[in-house]
Amino acid sequence: MNENDIYREEILEHYRHPQNFGTMKNPTYEAEAIHPLCGDSILLQLKVNPKGVVTQVRFSGSGCAISTASSSIFTEWMLGKTVKKLKTVGTGQIQKLMRAQIGPARLPCMLLSHVVLQKILSADASFVSRD
Amino acid sequence: MNINTVRKEFPIFQKRGAKPLAYFDNAATTQKPKAIIDAMDKFYRVGNAPVHRGVYALAESATEKYENVRDHVKDFIRAKHREEIIFTSGATASINMVVSGLAETFLREGDHILLSDMEHHAMIVPWQAAAKRKKLKLNFIPLTKDGRIDLDVFKKMLAKHKPKFVGVTHVSNVLGTVNPVREMAAAAHKIGAIVLVDAAQSAAHLPIDVRKPDCDFLAFSGHKMYGPNGIGILYGKRKLLEKLPPLMYGGHMIEQVTREKTTYAPLPDKFEGGTPPVAEVIGLGVAISFLQSVGLKTIQKHEEKLTAYALRALKDVPNISLLGPTTAKGRAPVFSFTIAGIHPHDIATLLDREGIAVRAGHHCAQILHENFSLDASVRVSLCFYNTVSEIDRLVSALSAIVKKFQ
Ligand SMILES: Cc1ncc(COP(=O)(O)O)c(C=O)c1O
Repeated sequence: MNENDIYREEILEHYRHPQNFGTMKNPTYEAEAIHPLCGDSILLQLKVNPKGVVTQVRFSGSGCAISTASSSIFTEWMLGKTVKKLKTVGTGQIQKLMRAQIGPARLPCMLLSHVVLQKILSADASFVSRD
Repeated sequence: MNINTVRKEFPIFQKRGAKPLAYFDNAATTQKPKAIIDAMDKFYRVGNAPVHRGVYALAESATEKYENVRDHVKDFIRAKHREEIIFTSGATASINMVVSGLAETFLREGDHILLSDMEHHAMIVPWQAAAKRKKLKLNFIPLTKDGRIDLDVFKKMLAKHKPKFVGVTHVSNVLGTVNPVREMAAAAHKIGAIVLVDAAQSAAHLPIDVRKPDCDFLAFSGHKMYGPNGIGILYGKRKLLEKLPPLMYGGHMIEQVTREKTTYAPLPDKFEGGTPPVAEVIGLGVAISFLQSVGLKTIQKHEEKLTAYALRALKDVPNISLLGPTTAKGRAPVFSFTIAGIHPHDIATLLDREGIAVRAGHHCAQILHENFSLDASVRVSLCFYNTVSEIDRLVSALSAIVKKFQ
């Protein structure tokens, strides 16, 4: 099988056993995004220490293999990053992490975790002062 | 035309390859036979002119072709009068015409409207908007576990709510259920309700006769019956259409315009404001000829066999849950299902890789899906050009997907 296949075993394994899946108590920030195509939703929660470093991250909700695996992989990447760094992250980072070709119809599934992160970053002005 | 060779008439299936197209999204739109593509092409090449207005030969000929289709549709659905046939842009437009017309003229605050839980958004959303404007009450007929309407339940709701209007789909676009519209219309008429039958999903599959069931209004789209996009039909009983206000105001639908006021043209022109899509109307006429040359009774029998085969074959897919009736009788070839642990969109994407086109989502029927506690399903909708070997391909592709996800 093509090693850039979105449904390769590595991705499916993230779908079967997603990392950082679940919810946390007292997150510093959280936001929810709804998938425009199928109505699936994702809740992203971040715990950030006073230095602005992400110390814990959780995501929850229902989703397809692509959105679940991408959330799993992206949240793994977020852990230990500074909020400042997160703010510079474009959708290209997810593409790089996922290493997969994907058509326009399913691209939004892959980018859902990025959409919800943008919500957190834009909705909460206190992020700016914490940097 | 022979139903077993009908597939040859469709240019889109002529492309050969390792993974030829298995098109299972016919409930969304059907493919087009060559005869229709050619007829529309020919109209634009040698026949194009505006209808109704021109006095030159080309315009007269276009008008004649356009109006001939109206007679053809009238015969196709066995209407009494040609002016009961209104050309619209599709079933959605037809339903909106009825809903806004009735809401404006016939209905009062507090009046009840009865729809079913399996209605397409094209029936539900216009009524919700009208209900908000006019303070109407919407009631929904619940479904049985196997996705049917229980006539006793329906009759009880008629007695309880005394609805002024009943809107029901002939065939469900998700479950394949063929509803008992004849009995429903008869019961609804007993309490004086107006009945609209949504025939969008039945026009290509079952013979339609607006006298049985006795419909006040009937709506369908050309593109779901092998015809072009952008053309549909509203049938209405003449007496009702005469009282209904137009939806589109403008050219052609008038009798006389002065600074003070406008009087409207008689039927059917009153409802056909603006320049109509002539090529599409001509295409629809050819689509109806095409269906008639195969024969709707023949189509029905053939599709019933396909349905029975698909129902049996799909059972072999591990962890599958099929929505809707489990027997082929009284069922159209539409199959919606879920597979435990695999998202419908993943199934659709993976089937696409095998050249199999299916739909995933709520199929414009969110209330229906809520009935079964689902957000989405995979839908496989067949028609007469689909084959048993395509169904086999589907079943083995689905089984492979289940295995992959294990
Ligand atoms: C039952 C039913 N009603 C109405 C419609 C609306 O048809 P159209 O989109 O062609 O207006 C559809 C098609 O999706 C349908 O399946």
